[in-house]
Amino acid sequence: MADSVRWLRIDFDKCIKAGECYYNHPELFRRTDSGYPALRIRRAATPAQFREAQEAMEVCPSRAISYEDDSTD
Amino acid sequence: MPATAATVSRPIDPREFDAVDFQRDPFPLYRRLRDDHPVFHDRFHNRWILSRYQDIEAAFQDSQSFDRAVYDPNGPYEFGRRHIFGPNILEYGNSPQHRWMRNVVAGQFVGERLDAFLPIIDRIAREVIATFERDCEVELVSQFSSQFPIRVISNMLGLPREDEAMFVGWYQALIAGLGFGGEHLARGLVARNEMWDYIDPLIEQRRRSPGDDLLSRITIAELDGKRLETKEIKGFVALLLAAGGDTTDKAIANMWYHMIYTRPDVFPQVLADPELWGNVFTEMMRYDAVVHAQFRQTTREIPLHGEVIPRGAGVILYLGAGNRDERVFRDPDVFDIHRDDLHMGRENRSGKYKDGKPGHLGFGMGPHFCMGYAMARQEASIACGHLAHAMKNARPKFAAHEGITSPSIDSGGFRSPRELWIEFDVR
Repeated sequence: MADSVRWLRIDFDKCIKAGECYYNHPELFRRTDSGYPALRIRRAATPAQFREAQEAMEVCPSRAISYEDDSTD
Repeated sequence: MPATAATVSRPIDPREFDAVDFQRDPFPLYRRLRDDHPVFHDRFHNRWILSRYQDIEAAFQDSQSFDRAVYDPNGPYEFGRRHIFGPNILEYGNSPQHRWMRNVVAGQFVGERLDAFLPIIDRIAREVIATFERDCEVELVSQFSSQFPIRVISNMLGLPREDEAMFVGWYQALIAGLGFGGEHLARGLVARNEMWDYIDPLIEQRRRSPGDDLLSRITIAELDGKRLETKEIKGFVALLLAAGGDTTDKAIANMWYHMIYTRPDVFPQVLADPELWGNVFTEMMRYDAVVHAQFRQTTREIPLHGEVIPRGAGVILYLGAGNRDERVFRDPDVFDIHRDDLHMGRENRSGKYKDGKPGHLGFGMGPHFCMGYAMARQEASIACGHLAHAMKNARPKFAAHEGITSPSIDSGGFRSPRELWIEFDVR
């Protein structure tokens, strides 16, 4: 894991503004006035951030968050 | 403004909040608060009261200014004097510890983990219904709603299934103690002590060999290399029972009350289309939610509607009043499962929805939004669907009902019918 480049992404078509990501993981996500989340970071730099990203994916009720390898970026 | 608006408003006597009338029907006083005293300084109880939707929403979102009041045994707050459960997550306010403790369990109640648990919820609902489905009548509160959510939580915690009935008994005694005090309280404390004795060895066992159940998760979770103490784990379990069991219990009873007493004309639609139980849930959470009050403490001066709430003041957010705010909802005193000015789908912690409609305030909003919101909705809908299927031609056993009430609104509400007798034909 440590060597692969993984990017944190939000799919705004799927996002229902639930807010689970930014309330639970404010280190990674920020609440915008519209209720949509915004990313504070694009990739996890520490094991703690990595764990938070995993948890954010799990708690997102609309499965709008991904944290994956992406060769196009 | 209509001519009637010229009526001089009656000042509010703070003792009205302690009256039985207010516990039975708080809505007339809520309206006077909203209309004439949107920021009410209750000098008698040493607290401030907010009652309009927008003000409550703003306070929920601004948790830096409105901290979740921290437990203080000598404080002026009712919940301070009812310290029954031991230390628990609700008492850590905006601290990092609070967020950590919340995250230890919050993930269990939403998303993939919740989906994986739905078949078990479904099975438990059918099991409890099977205990009375051939009886032609049921007292829904004692025979179903106060059993089902506790059995679900007990299962999630990973407690032995054969001990569920015992757990339900402790829970019922504890909740009666919290609600009614006096000798009920004494019995509740005995139940709590028995429950603590029962759970001690289970915690020890989880420390030695944790599984993937919720009790293991709480027991082995670490913050900065430190685990929760036994008394904190027990406080956590008690919280899950009270906040996760009691509320869902009362939500189910309220939904049935509204279908058979408030809107029997609408009930056939729901029977024909069980998807509508979701709407019944949503409108119940707006019209007369289980919890009516949340408590906050200001961390700065709050200027609002020409008043200034001082720093360090106790504030009650009457979300039960905000939910009836005519500035937001048309005909707010009508129970309407088809209303188009309320977001009907599942709730969002952010309070924002793609359909642009306002949501109910029944789960709170923002950082301290109800942790079990998704599970409560699923549990209630699954249970009501199975109940409606099992109880053919469900109808009130008695034409008259005392209505939904609360042992004490100041303890946060917990409004529900005390009993709900339903007659039905065996399917």
